[in-house]
Amino acid sequence: MKEMVGVVITRVAIGFPLHGGDVRAPSAVFDQIFEVFLLLGTAVGVVVVAYTMYHALKYRDDGGTDPYADKVERPEMGEMPTGGAGGRKVFYSFSISAIIVVSLIAWTYSQLLYIEQGPDPAQTDALEIDVEGYRFGWDFVYPNGHTTNTLYVPQDRVVRLQVTSTDVFHNFGIPELRVKTDAVPGQYTSAWFTANETGTYAAKCYELCGSGHSLMTTDVVVMPQDEYEEWYAETEGTNETKSGGNETGGADHQIAPATAGGVPA
Amino acid sequence: MSHDHEHGLPPKSSVSRWFLTTNHKDIGVLYLITALFFLVFGGVLALLFRLELISSGADLLGSMGYNQAVSTHGLLMVFWFISPFAFGFANYIVPLQIGADDLAFPRLNALSYWLYLFSGILMGVSFFQGTTFAGGWTMYAPLNTPAYIPGEGLGATSVVLALIMFTAAVTLGSVNFLTTMYRMRAENLRMRDIPIFSLSINLTVWMMLFAFAALLAALMILASDHILGTTYFQYSIDGTTMATDADNPGASLLWAHLFWFFGHPEVYIVFFPALGVMAECFQTFTGRRLVGRKWFIISMVLVALQSFVVWMHHMFLTGINLPIKTIFMATTIGISLPFDLMVFSLIYTMAKGRVRFTTPFLFSLGALILFIIGGITGVFLGAIVLDYQFRGTYWVVAHFHYVMVAGATALFGGLYYWYPKITGKMYNETLGKIQFGVYFLGFNLLYFPMFIAWETPRRVFVYPDGLQIWHSMATVGGFILGASFLLMFYNLFVSLWRGEDVGPNPWEYATSAEWAVSSPPSLENFPGVPSYATGKLEFLDEEAVTERTESAPGGAAHGHAATDGGTATDGGAVTARAAATATAVEPAHEVGGEEHASHASFWPFLVSLGGFIAFLGLSGVRTGSVFYLSMAAVGGVATFGSLVGMTREPFHAPEMAIAERWPFERVEKMKLGMWTFLASDIVLFGAFIGSYAFVRVAYGWTAWHHDLIPAEHVTMPGLINTYLLLTSSFLVVLAMVAAERESKRGTVAALVGTFALGVGFLINKGIEWNHLFHISTETFPNGWGLSTNIASSTFYLTTGLHGAHVTIGLIICAYMTVRAWNGAYQGDDRAIEYFGLYWHFVDIVWLFLFPLFYIL
Repeated sequence: MKEMVGVVITRVAIGFPLHGGDVRAPSAVFDQIFEVFLLLGTAVGVVVVAYTMYHALKYRDDGGTDPYADKVERPEMGEMPTGGAGGRKVFYSFSISAIIVVSLIAWTYSQLLYIEQGPDPAQTDALEIDVEGYRFGWDFVYPNGHTTNTLYVPQDRVVRLQVTSTDVFHNFGIPELRVKTDAVPGQYTSAWFTANETGTYAAKCYELCGSGHSLMTTDVVVMPQDEYEEWYAETEGTNETKSGGNETGGADHQIAPATAGGVPA
Repeated sequence: MSHDHEHGLPPKSSVSRWFLTTNHKDIGVLYLITALFFLVFGGVLALLFRLELISSGADLLGSMGYNQAVSTHGLLMVFWFISPFAFGFANYIVPLQIGADDLAFPRLNALSYWLYLFSGILMGVSFFQGTTFAGGWTMYAPLNTPAYIPGEGLGATSVVLALIMFTAAVTLGSVNFLTTMYRMRAENLRMRDIPIFSLSINLTVWMMLFAFAALLAALMILASDHILGTTYFQYSIDGTTMATDADNPGASLLWAHLFWFFGHPEVYIVFFPALGVMAECFQTFTGRRLVGRKWFIISMVLVALQSFVVWMHHMFLTGINLPIKTIFMATTIGISLPFDLMVFSLIYTMAKGRVRFTTPFLFSLGALILFIIGGITGVFLGAIVLDYQFRGTYWVVAHFHYVMVAGATALFGGLYYWYPKITGKMYNETLGKIQFGVYFLGFNLLYFPMFIAWETPRRVFVYPDGLQIWHSMATVGGFILGASFLLMFYNLFVSLWRGEDVGPNPWEYATSAEWAVSSPPSLENFPGVPSYATGKLEFLDEEAVTERTESAPGGAAHGHAATDGGTATDGGAVTARAAATATAVEPAHEVGGEEHASHASFWPFLVSLGGFIAFLGLSGVRTGSVFYLSMAAVGGVATFGSLVGMTREPFHAPEMAIAERWPFERVEKMKLGMWTFLASDIVLFGAFIGSYAFVRVAYGWTAWHHDLIPAEHVTMPGLINTYLLLTSSFLVVLAMVAAERESKRGTVAALVGTFALGVGFLINKGIEWNHLFHISTETFPNGWGLSTNIASSTFYLTTGLHGAHVTIGLIICAYMTVRAWNGAYQGDDRAIEYFGLYWHFVDIVWLFLFPLFYIL
């Protein structure tokens, strides 16, 4: 116990990041952008669709004489195609929509740089975990070599994942934490996240990989920092993966039970 | 219905008519009906898995059944329904709109149709070969390889082969439409003057020509992995599982690049005809000319070009680097902008219009609204941060169904629009409007809840309880949408009998040429030669035509005017890749001193039937079963024999007396056809070479040579082959010269020399390969064969594809030698010139392959 306290104190002294609100989680970035897009997208959609219907209804043919007969030339059979007048409005509308679209995307680009690189590595003590997808489950490999089928992570800590597959193309995503990346056999891809609240989340596969694709989910357990340290210390040399041969479809995937905040069995 | 004599074609009421016809209108009808059948097939599959999705869990179909259903639904709808449906209209309407009496190569047109039909049948057969393909319509690697396909996997192989057959149909169609549109327009009709629907088809076939070549490369490589045992899409030969130990690290991403390079232009290939139909219907039913027409056309051209530089937005999470992601984000947003312009163009066309809410217009307007919604959600996907989370979820599914099925919506509008023209009867308008209402309701009830339930991963049958309401709603919507089609089929079918007769033009304000002729049009389409010389459509009688052609020797009438009994024909240049021979130019078929256009041939049907049998056999050859091997052999022989028959058949497709031909005034029909075909072949080889470069860079360019290639693979055989091919190309030129000088012996000698050198090339290659197959060294104890490693796979398949091209060339050369011996080509070397173009192309490809595979 004394040693544990010593470790914690030392780390705090070095600058062990306790984020709280320090590091902006990818989920917060996504939520903000998504909200803005939803608002603007709905607004634009409603306006443009209403504008369309307005034109369709206002200029409908009521069977009488042509009210615009002297203002507009009507198409005639066999004529060489030419355009109708009124192209200027097209340009105005087009320009407005182009400006909206381009500025929206430009704004998101700055956020993209943050998502790509993550918070400054010099200031964060990230936890590096390898993720290996297979048909039909996930192996998580910790720095000490310990391998589990459930992802245990500490709260408020930047976690960087190096993801690959050992057979076919999968995709690893934790929807509630807004982290996702392809699991491509033959190479690694990376992603990072930080979880601000404890609890159990689901990790799923997002690329069709065979008959067990629908069932390729596993748990992500976010624990308070000290509980995580305890758990991690006890994992030296042990290995929690179930037998790796899950080749057939539909096999129920056994997940280590995680009691909230407690050290798993 | 017109009853003028039909030039040897049985009447429409007889079954044989439909097997023999090469007329574009008949083929258009065949495409429309067949495509609607595949709509039902793909739709029923969708309803099956929507039933599954009413509740979470695989109760109904089982997991493999579910995966097969979603995969084949996608393949059938994207390939076998929507584009063929659009091309039913393209076939029927484009020649009428541009003033042509048929397509440039009528028998090739029929061949495209029968190849399409038989490829769909092969797809259907795959369901009965164990399991059909179950890896998603995107067919990602390595899930698409035999190692990950349960059972013997013959159904999956059949699907790949069916797609190859389909691609052959598409490529022939592209060659045909491009040649037609650049050589057979009415007088004074510049490319920018043709109706928007025809323009949209023109851009569609340009995209098809290049995009499908890339797909064909991917499919051929995949088929080779299945049948020949190559290892392009296997990342590990010896079963190692760690990323750092991969034997072929580029495997998965290779498929992704090839497929999406095709896949993105494909969605515009699907949508453009629909856009064309919308433009026509908006113009006709608003009574206004399209506002901003020039910019509309420019926008379409921009989209067609840009469609080839956005594909990596389907791959944002595959580990590509940030600069590349940025570029593709920019190009993706860039391609949405021309669409903004086109949407507003359509909206403003309604201003000061006389809008009539007929069924075609309801569908077109409905399509526009659905496309606006779908397009906005696409901008979401262009924001990479959002795309990261939407990847593999129902947001993507909802987005593409909104845009793609919006396209289908417009095409159904086109069906109502052109139904009176095709059948001569009017459908029931009230029922049409009701159907639209049911359709629109069903559509939105089916797809909008998918946005709300967007967190559901794709292709899964398990989802959180909270989303069940949305999935159930979608299922109900799907059934309503399906029911609306029953209404449509009923309406259109019964109206064939009960509908009112219509004249040439039932729609006020329609302007294009198809509405100036009877409904349905006569076999020759027009009551004279169509001309826009005066600025309005006129039909010139024979006197006027003779006057024109004799007084105007310039560009419009250059070439072989039919009035002076010219000899332009359709030589039936067949370019099917399954097994092909090309042809020589046939002499005009004279009947009683007058030349009649031919309209019938049974060879396209037979070639396709043979191809079907051959491919069905190929799907199972790896099992060694007698049944499959004999099917493959019988089919191969039948196809080859039918192609020879088709070549030797006299078939006459006269050139138009007067036509706009910019920019190909000086390029003859056959030559233009050959050039467009070669353009697609260039992309095919480009994809093969690109694939080789990609996997080699992924492996490590220099390590490749050291690790994977035996010392016995030396340069000399390649060098010898290079000399043989270059000399043979020179000999083809000599043959042309000899033919022009009417030296029969010279022609035959040069052709025989070409043939001999080509055979020498193949023999030399055979010796080289045999040697490599049988080496036994420390690194390669069992020889260096097709399956040994990725370097051997790329070497044998790429040079093998080239060798197949050489073989085909030799078959043609042999045929031509025999004909030359019998006196052909004397004074007219054009056929040898066309063959020469092909042969030089094959030569030039080798000049790239030799350094890549023997020196670097």
